[in-house]
Amino acid sequence: MKKKQPINATYGILLFLLLTWQPSHSQILAMVQQTKQSETSKNDSKKALGSILVDLEGIYRANIFFELNTVENIFVNPKIISSGLSLEENLENILKPLGLTYKKNNKTSYTITIDNIYKKTSTINYAPTTSNESEQKLGPQVKGRVLDENGSGLPGLSILIKGTNRGTSTDINGSFQLEVPTSETVLVFKYLGYETKEVIVGNQTNLEISLKPENKSLTEVVVTALGIKKQSKSVGYATATVGTDEMTLNRTANFMNALQGKMAGVNITPLGSGPAGTSKIRIRGQSSFGGNNSPLIVVNGVPIDNTNNGARGDVSEKGSNRTSDGGDGLSSINPDDIEAMTVLKGAAASALYGSRAKDGVIMITTKTRSKGNGISLAYNSNFTSETPLDYTDYQYEYGQGENGIRPTTPFPTSGQWSFGEKFQPGMTQMLFDGVTLPYEPQRNQISQFYRQGYTWTNTLTLTSGGENGGFSLSVANLDNRTILQNSGYDRKTINLGFTQTLSKRLTISGNINYSNEYRKNPPNIAEQDYSPVIIFNMANSMPLSALEKYAEDANGNETVWSRFTNRTNPYFALKRFDNITNDRIFGNLTAKFNFTDWLFIQGRLGQDYYSREQDYNLPTGTQRQVAAPAGFVNGQFVQDSRNVRELNMDFLLGANKTFGSFGVNLNVGGNQMYRRISRHNVFIQDFYTRDLYTIGNGRQRDATYDFSERQVNSIYGSAEVSYKDYLFLSGTVRNDWFSTLSPENRSILYPSVTTSFVFSQAFASALPDWITFGKIRAAYAEVGSDTDVSPYANNLFYGINAQQFPSPAGASQPLGSISGSTVPNSNLRPMRVSEKEVGLELKLFNNSIGLDLTYYDKLSSDQILRAQTSNAGGYLSQLINVGQSRNQGVEMLVSLSPIKSQNFNWNLILNAAYNKTEVLNLGSGVSNNMITVGTADFSGELRQVVGKPMGQLFGFGYMRDAQGRQIFDIGNGRPLRTTDQIAFGSAIPLWVGGITNSFSIKGVEVSFLIDFKLGHKMISGTNHNAWRHGLSKETLVGRDVNYVIGDGVNLNGQVNATKSGVQAYYETVRSQNIAEQFVYDAGLWQLRQIMIGYDLSKFLSKKTPFIKGLRINAVANNVAVIKKWVPNLHPEQFGFPSDNLVGLEATGLPITRNIGFNLNLKF
Amino acid sequence: MKNILISSLILLGTMGLASCDEGFDKMNVNPIALTAVEPSYQLNTTIVNTAPSYGNLSYETTIVKQMITPFSGQGSAANFNQDNRSVASGNWNSLYQNNIKELTDVIVKTKDLPAKSNLYNMARIWKAYSFMILTDTYGDIPYSQAGKNYLEGISTPIYDTQESVYSAILTELESASAALDASKAKVSTDLLYDGDVTKWKRFGFSLLLRASMRLSKVNPAKSAEYVAKAVAGGLMQSNADNAIIRHNSNFANPIGSQLNGGQSAFFYLAEDFVEFLKKANDPRLESIAVRYVGATSGAQQIESRANRTKDVQIGAPLGYDNTTITVAVKEKKLASLWDYSQLDRTRVGGLNAPSFLVTYSQTQLLLAEAVHRKWTTGTASTLFSNGIKAHMQQFASYGTSSSISEATINAYLLANTLTPGKELEEINTQYWVSSFLVGPESWANFRRSGFPVLKPNSFPGSDLKTEPFIRRLTYVDAELNVNKDNVQKAIERQGANTMDTRIWWDKK
Repeated sequence: MKKKQPINATYGILLFLLLTWQPSHSQILAMVQQTKQSETSKNDSKKALGSILVDLEGIYRANIFFELNTVENIFVNPKIISSGLSLEENLENILKPLGLTYKKNNKTSYTITIDNIYKKTSTINYAPTTSNESEQKLGPQVKGRVLDENGSGLPGLSILIKGTNRGTSTDINGSFQLEVPTSETVLVFKYLGYETKEVIVGNQTNLEISLKPENKSLTEVVVTALGIKKQSKSVGYATATVGTDEMTLNRTANFMNALQGKMAGVNITPLGSGPAGTSKIRIRGQSSFGGNNSPLIVVNGVPIDNTNNGARGDVSEKGSNRTSDGGDGLSSINPDDIEAMTVLKGAAASALYGSRAKDGVIMITTKTRSKGNGISLAYNSNFTSETPLDYTDYQYEYGQGENGIRPTTPFPTSGQWSFGEKFQPGMTQMLFDGVTLPYEPQRNQISQFYRQGYTWTNTLTLTSGGENGGFSLSVANLDNRTILQNSGYDRKTINLGFTQTLSKRLTISGNINYSNEYRKNPPNIAEQDYSPVIIFNMANSMPLSALEKYAEDANGNETVWSRFTNRTNPYFALKRFDNITNDRIFGNLTAKFNFTDWLFIQGRLGQDYYSREQDYNLPTGTQRQVAAPAGFVNGQFVQDSRNVRELNMDFLLGANKTFGSFGVNLNVGGNQMYRRISRHNVFIQDFYTRDLYTIGNGRQRDATYDFSERQVNSIYGSAEVSYKDYLFLSGTVRNDWFSTLSPENRSILYPSVTTSFVFSQAFASALPDWITFGKIRAAYAEVGSDTDVSPYANNLFYGINAQQFPSPAGASQPLGSISGSTVPNSNLRPMRVSEKEVGLELKLFNNSIGLDLTYYDKLSSDQILRAQTSNAGGYLSQLINVGQSRNQGVEMLVSLSPIKSQNFNWNLILNAAYNKTEVLNLGSGVSNNMITVGTADFSGELRQVVGKPMGQLFGFGYMRDAQGRQIFDIGNGRPLRTTDQIAFGSAIPLWVGGITNSFSIKGVEVSFLIDFKLGHKMISGTNHNAWRHGLSKETLVGRDVNYVIGDGVNLNGQVNATKSGVQAYYETVRSQNIAEQFVYDAGLWQLRQIMIGYDLSKFLSKKTPFIKGLRINAVANNVAVIKKWVPNLHPEQFGFPSDNLVGLEATGLPITRNIGFNLNLKF
Repeated sequence: MKNILISSLILLGTMGLASCDEGFDKMNVNPIALTAVEPSYQLNTTIVNTAPSYGNLSYETTIVKQMITPFSGQGSAANFNQDNRSVASGNWNSLYQNNIKELTDVIVKTKDLPAKSNLYNMARIWKAYSFMILTDTYGDIPYSQAGKNYLEGISTPIYDTQESVYSAILTELESASAALDASKAKVSTDLLYDGDVTKWKRFGFSLLLRASMRLSKVNPAKSAEYVAKAVAGGLMQSNADNAIIRHNSNFANPIGSQLNGGQSAFFYLAEDFVEFLKKANDPRLESIAVRYVGATSGAQQIESRANRTKDVQIGAPLGYDNTTITVAVKEKKLASLWDYSQLDRTRVGGLNAPSFLVTYSQTQLLLAEAVHRKWTTGTASTLFSNGIKAHMQQFASYGTSSSISEATINAYLLANTLTPGKELEEINTQYWVSSFLVGPESWANFRRSGFPVLKPNSFPGSDLKTEPFIRRLTYVDAELNVNKDNVQKAIERQGANTMDTRIWWDKK
């Protein structure tokens, strides 16, 4: 990657300062108080106003300027400050009763003045603006200048005479002048964002002071596994955090989708299945050959369920071809309730979570109280519109029809074929029962069929805080209208978080999240029935209005329009319903007891419980269905009800003590995870009464009940030793016992060791000044996992058919069979992951450049494979325990602040992750060292091949001779296919990342994000269909003469001269299952997001006293594709959450461009 | 207070961790799933599963020119002489994943149980029958190691030569049929014959006759040897012995449910079949066919247009697709391709229409040929007539409107006696009619006997290179991937994995 030179020039943006901040008093003094606590204890209940203002400066990281006279001898109750309020609100509360007011200079700078009403009677003397001379002489006069790290003067900087309330501030050039009592006087120089400096005046009369930027890296705190907070500098592994703005301002119904491209090494993919669909998250690629490599989701320290109900996800469905996306566990979370989110990427970071964390952990902390004291209310409203995007570039020269003939008789069946006649003015076609319509191109079918969608979210949050605790209560509603007619998503959430210190030592805290989600008709996707496949293959002269008008006959049955009867008329398909209601409550209760200031014990009980009800139908009268027996109407109906409970109990004993230069931190804990799933399902075939989809109205009923439970018991401990606060060594050890494994394999112990060395602190004096912060880290960890072993995978089971079969004598005889098509294995061992990582963190040039680099090497062995077997053995697959793969990669995060000033900031953050996963071993039981893990809906397969990157796309190619010439059949002129399937490359991206540019211009925040996923391939089912149905522009070749002579040779080596029929030629890809034609680079460069925000609070404070804050943001998502390689669709218009179907594209819903507005009001 | 809190916290934390895997053995036992089932239930499942399925319309019945669809698509197969792997895999997937898997399990579970000896032998017979369909379709197949992935861990079974497979099938059918013993416990849950051991025995030996005759080209001596064994064992005596899947609304006829659903307008009776029946003034045509006269679309195939009389029936020719067929349509002065004769979806193509797997009629016809070949004794012409008569009588089971009267049958038999010198052709052509819609059998017998004499499908752009008719179906793509070494050995032995390659018994 090319290094970019920071545009470091414009510290001279001081111009802005000049324009916006005009010091108007001779003696503006900023109070600096190093020892706040002592100050409070001195003045029992009241505190000097000056000191309180200094406190505020600290809390809000702002500069507050005031005249000494103005605040002298005024004392106020410090409890008046509430950190739940904004700085303005606090100032208002404090100053108003005192007859004072404030003026906002810019975002972080305020000046206190006497309110105009009182001014007249005031005795305060205002001095000229830029006086370098003081009015009174108290002692030796000191002049000087304060400079930043670049030698520019720092204006408005406060200087205090230590031990007094007196001082001054610098002018716009950074110069100051001050009288000091004695030469022993110590001056304290304080400036926001810089390290405070103390200087003894001595004999100097002209001081030149340089301030170093404050080093945030030394004080940052991160939340690590089990919710343990650690100093960021002590952490020996990579983590990523996301600001809450990233998910609250840019809204997607599933909030994770808004975070695409924002965290290094975290690959987030929405699935083209609608806004309420699954968000696919992969951290550092995918490690196991199982289809689900999702990270563990932890809320407030306790894992929650993230079962994937996506199309062909974790949960199997009954009935015909239901492939709608029922969403995942993350969608129950309202981002407004999130206080912080941290991603633990590697095994070392997540080792304390053990088995379920092999793919990383997403740690979410929700709000438990207000930030300060008192009660506050906030209202947030977000409206986002969703416009379907059409990337098709089809041919509009030849219209509907087959073999060069357009429909001219009633009930033509070519509705999905565009191999008709060349459009000529005045031509007509006959459709449906004999309707004559113009034969002309219909260009905007996709935007015509799909509508504008929207999502409207409203959240009301009430928070309270006090000395001993507080709470946060929010109520929210999300209302979504999906781009498919009659489809939407509604979510109501109530979240309560609280924390309370009962006695001095005992703290009880907890949170409860209730969500009620209703998914109305989530669209079917990615296969032929009822899905966007039909829209994307619609004959290019089919008028959609006619399709809608003639969708059904007089009996309400679907009118024939395509001879692919499973391509249901998309308007008739709207009779399909699918209702999913999910009632979910999750939360936990934590009690923490501090024995002393260095020893505590904590107990926690967490539960995630949901009840999910779903019903869906296959509507009566679709062409695709088999007929019902006489006296019934056909159709299907499924009613499904599921209860999922996950209980986590854990305890943690912690000790933290310092011995001289050494610090020791010890934790010992245990966890018990219990998970239980029960499911009732009734499947109905055919009905007595038409259009009544109920169990009671069903002819044939098949009811099933599923049940499973599993448990993992764990004990663990961690120890950290630190030396002088710059060298940290820590280790963890955990033992898990899995209920799903056999007694001899179920216990597994795994260790981790990490180290962190802050060399910038250790060698502070030896290193050049421009190294602001530097740390190297290294980690090794092992984790085991049974996640690819479902409960009861050790046994073969049998089932009995719900229906009996009559014998000749009329007896009803039972039918039984072996359940499932996978050979069970009672000897499975947990898979093992061992991961090494090293990292480097640097902050250079006063934080202008930040760099975070990580290299990792992750070995996943003993993987549990569902390996395809010869079905002549009776089974399709078997569970084996031999897979080994290795992920290696680099993650980098570069942040640059080319321009940093109080009025204009430009930040640039670039994150990129390179990941390569190689399959090392599949055991001896598989032939050709490869296994097939997934098969496409249209063409191609996904395989794991030893020695190759994971996720190889395979399919039949075009047969070629030694010279590379394509070979055609001598008899029929059609392309021949390769004898074996050939490899086309990996479907997993090598590079994932994003570039965020953000600007802050006089309070207006603007940012845009470009993200990318590169270095992977896809086999496009959409293009496969567009080709065989005659929509691709490439299929125009041969239309004029009505034959195609393929460019190549025949098997005898002669130049091919055999004519093939046009349609037959292009349909060969289907009958011969040839994938090669549809292999594309799946890469994408996208202008993902533009965001503009403005804080309007300052305009409001006077006129509307009850509104304390107002912020407005506008966001645009999926703004533009900068570069893609696949034609006719967006690479993310995909469908399946499973890693075993990755790269096997089958048409999903059109990608939408989302434009949203966010309004945030505080009361 | 404080102490209580502390101790309760510790208790909370350590609960269940005292013994770190206590109760796990019990927890990992599925409390609701069956770990065993009465094996005869599994046999029942495989019997129902053997009924010819929808894929049988795309290949077998079209190859022998009984059925035809001119439409292309996922079902493009014998209508265009195309190697369509997803359809070609139908028999393979269905029989290995169901019949072979279940029956292997049943046989292992019942082998050493004297009380279940009849069930054991019934399962052996049905397994041999299933393997017969498999090897007739593909040639060399996994046999000796098939179905044993769970029991013996064989995930990539070797392919046995068809010769050895047939040897084994003959032995199995002979010994299992012979071992059926009416004095032993009958399988009361049997859905085929209500556990009637005599009927099962006749069924087993009739299947043995079928298997024996299959070798008539390649090994006449062995053929004759086993014909004698079959006859000695006792064959089906009447239609009451037929092996029939009696479909009902819960287990609809797979062909019927397609022809009554969205695919109803896609399949037609083939010209050769209709013409043969018409020419012979065969009453069966009126039981089988319907023509929606003047229909110009599927929507117009309504009862008011239906004509079931013999003379109006016009079969659809092979060799065209749905657009090029216009030529043929015009030639016959039809309104459209939807005007061709169809398998009557209200009767023989009905939802509840029974599937006849092995019949008395077929057995009589095979016997007629065996007599003609002098491999057994009897009167060929009588057997020939019996075979036709039995088949005509079968039509009663499709409902009264399909049933053929005794008088009509006799009239036909009188007019269609076995012609000396044309015995093989006439017997096997009748076998073709008698096996109507049972694609695997009519196709196998067509390849073996060379009859009926059919014109090859002339569709331009055939995947066939050397043969006028499809001689076998290709191995499934999955085998080429997961069982490559074994399937490659079979291909090397047998010939290219194409539809032209003749299987072992299909000697030229």
